[in-house]
Amino acid sequence: MRQQGVLEQTLAMILAGGVGERLYPLTKVKAKPAVPFGGIYRIIDFTLSNCLHSGIRRIFVLTQHKSLPLDRHLWLGWSSLFRTELGEFLATVPPQQRLVREWYRGTADAVFQNIDLLSHERPKFVLILAGDHVYRMDYRAMLQFHLSKNAEVTIACTTVPIKDASRFGVMEVDENDKIIGFEEKPQKPKSLPNDPSHSLISMGIYLFNTETLVRAVIQDAKRTDSDHDFGKNVIPSLVQQGAQVFAFNIRKELPPLFHYWQDIGTLDSYYDAHMELVSPNPSFPLHDDEWTIRTYLPPLPPAVLKGDAVTRYCVVSPGCVIEEGAIVEHSILSPGVYIGKGAVVRRSILLHRVRVSEGCHLEKVIVDEDVTIPQGEQIGVDLERDRKRFTVTERGVVIVPVGVAF
Amino acid sequence: MAKARILVVEDDDKQRQLYCEELIAAGYETLEARNASEAEELLNREQIDLIILDINMPGVSGLELLPRIHELHPGMPVIIHTAYGSYRDDFISWLADMFIVKSPDAGNLIEAVEDLLSRQREKKFQREVKQEP
Repeated sequence: MRQQGVLEQTLAMILAGGVGERLYPLTKVKAKPAVPFGGIYRIIDFTLSNCLHSGIRRIFVLTQHKSLPLDRHLWLGWSSLFRTELGEFLATVPPQQRLVREWYRGTADAVFQNIDLLSHERPKFVLILAGDHVYRMDYRAMLQFHLSKNAEVTIACTTVPIKDASRFGVMEVDENDKIIGFEEKPQKPKSLPNDPSHSLISMGIYLFNTETLVRAVIQDAKRTDSDHDFGKNVIPSLVQQGAQVFAFNIRKELPPLFHYWQDIGTLDSYYDAHMELVSPNPSFPLHDDEWTIRTYLPPLPPAVLKGDAVTRYCVVSPGCVIEEGAIVEHSILSPGVYIGKGAVVRRSILLHRVRVSEGCHLEKVIVDEDVTIPQGEQIGVDLERDRKRFTVTERGVVIVPVGVAF
Repeated sequence: MAKARILVVEDDDKQRQLYCEELIAAGYETLEARNASEAEELLNREQIDLIILDINMPGVSGLELLPRIHELHPGMPVIIHTAYGSYRDDFISWLADMFIVKSPDAGNLIEAVEDLLSRQREKKFQREVKQEP
């Protein structure tokens, strides 16, 4: 048998089982990784594209709540890319309740409950990935780093201004990138040794030696005082035990194309990441030939702009129709969106097959899939009125949920 | 100090009796289960300090029972005692505190029991010390 390369010895587990509470109502009928992003994509497409470009060809997606739309998307768009004859696969795994007769109690528990998959596949390395991050990442570079440091665990990290670091897991590292301290959401975040204005934060992406991972999740599962979370429990405990845990700082180790990273945690961060896409110089350009993002798209006709319809700084997906007299600015239109005559849509995100009827006015609105906005309706113009009928975020973004009737 | 109570889960009658005799001679109290369901019943009913668990048994195997033990009694010390070292390759077996391949003499099993129980006592002591104001 030929000697297996490092990539063939690596298996990815994508955690896609969260409730997605903070993204509600966009997660009303689907898991967060299946929520659309950037017009034509679903959030999980970014992580899966990274796997594909990095040569990771054995992937388990651990699903749980509202997984059908995610399963469907993976089946339609991704499953056929993996050749079972070559030992490749993309498999979704709902909770088997083989080890515990409960749902996943945390990210580490999701892995613990599936250690039999690792027994069966016997990878040397396991990449633990999140299904709800938007970023480009070359996992090969992370693997090389892991090997060069002789690490047991490598955590992908990025830097943020110290004032923003309290929302994250903050690392303290020595000059050799070894993690010597880890605090989850600290009130007083520690800064980088050579940069007092920035902190090093965990991106929630972990590369483990398989045996270290198995030992760590078993140890954690036996603890009754644990939330069974990698960031909160498993990593701090490994660091405390003196394990070889290293920080892979993407801003130091990777070229600028890979520096963008966004955890789509809240409705406001979802909205902001989209507005960033339609800014004059987006820091995460969707058009990049070197690291394309794949997705599933049904066969649709091209987008059509009729008459004097105006669009400025927009993402317009296939199948969209913008009728004459309509104005669409700083907005994202997913496939099959229809904008009626004279409608005005600004700084908004319209998901798949949304119909905005004639004369509507939308400002700073996210409209979920298949919603029809009736003629002349105004949303985002009078927030007092909108609060009585929709979710309005702290920063004034109105969410029109799936299945709403006017 | 009360004798530690050891549950021996083993389908082979002769082996089970042998282990129990050795354990009693070493100063322990024993409980016996011939299969997983008997073991689960005893676990629900009795105070148990340590479990010696065979893997290859008719019906539910030791590797299936192990997570159940962990679920019912988190932290319960378990020694896997099997004729097949290859079961170590199944990561579920790592849930046990020790893995011992059967040998004709039960000496190493008794040693393992003593070792694990003293580790448990040490852990308990550490916890109590920590809790003291």
